[in-house]
Amino acid sequence: MRESGGLAKDWVRGWWVFAALITLTVLEFGLLFVDMPVGLFRVLLVAMNLADAWLILYYFMHIAQLWGGE
Amino acid sequence: MAHPQVVEHTAEARLSVNRTGLWLFILSESFLFGAALSSRYYLQGVERPPELNQLLGLGITLVLLTSSLTAYRAERAAVHGQLPGLIRNLVATVGLGLLFMVGVVIEWYEAFHYFPPSTAYGTIFLTTTGLHGFHVLTGIVALTFILFLGRDGRFTGGNFWPVEGAVKYWHFVDVAWVFIYPTLYLVQ
Repeated sequence: MRESGGLAKDWVRGWWVFAALITLTVLEFGLLFVDMPVGLFRVLLVAMNLADAWLILYYFMHIAQLWGGE
Repeated sequence: MAHPQVVEHTAEARLSVNRTGLWLFILSESFLFGAALSSRYYLQGVERPPELNQLLGLGITLVLLTSSLTAYRAERAAVHGQLPGLIRNLVATVGLGLLFMVGVVIEWYEAFHYFPPSTAYGTIFLTTTGLHGFHVLTGIVALTFILFLGRDGRFTGGNFWPVEGAVKYWHFVDVAWVFIYPTLYLVQ
């Protein structure tokens, strides 16, 4: 068993990642209502998706464990 | 009797093998979703029907992202040996997963009405969301299984791999949806 301080730190990190995910998702949706060139729209959409996926893979799925990063 | 250091080393090696195996499984699954998503662009380009319920798509996405937070909290609680946190967050994750499935049922009801399977978009939409929904259901079953098995604390005494494995699978289902949502609902 580890110390509870570590758990509290993990949970705070979870909230920050969650907030970033929600913000990115709402911004993605908001792009529909912004008048912009279609190419820019697609680039922003892809960038936001990749950021979303990276946040989940890195912080929630701990992908860095694969190369000993955690 | 085995030396404690040897036992610890063996447990670490086993955990590493388990993780690598799960990541390989996730990689193979991602090809399946990649194929489904690419068929959308091949068959339909970037067109989407105007009747698509954008708000429902956003709503179920937010529900699934919230379930990822509770799944993460459950996994961390297991790692830190905190049983109440594990149980509470697993229950929340399963509940949010079921809520997501209610949203999928509503979107299917609307899909059959506005763009049935006989249309190209209907085929893509129902196949992709059906494939994903099946993964969500299996994730719910796995998490429920872990929830019932873990009530007595068997996953909070250092043996947290079953929780970690089920939760990683759940996060993968979330990552898949992160790409499905814009592909079906947003891209134009």
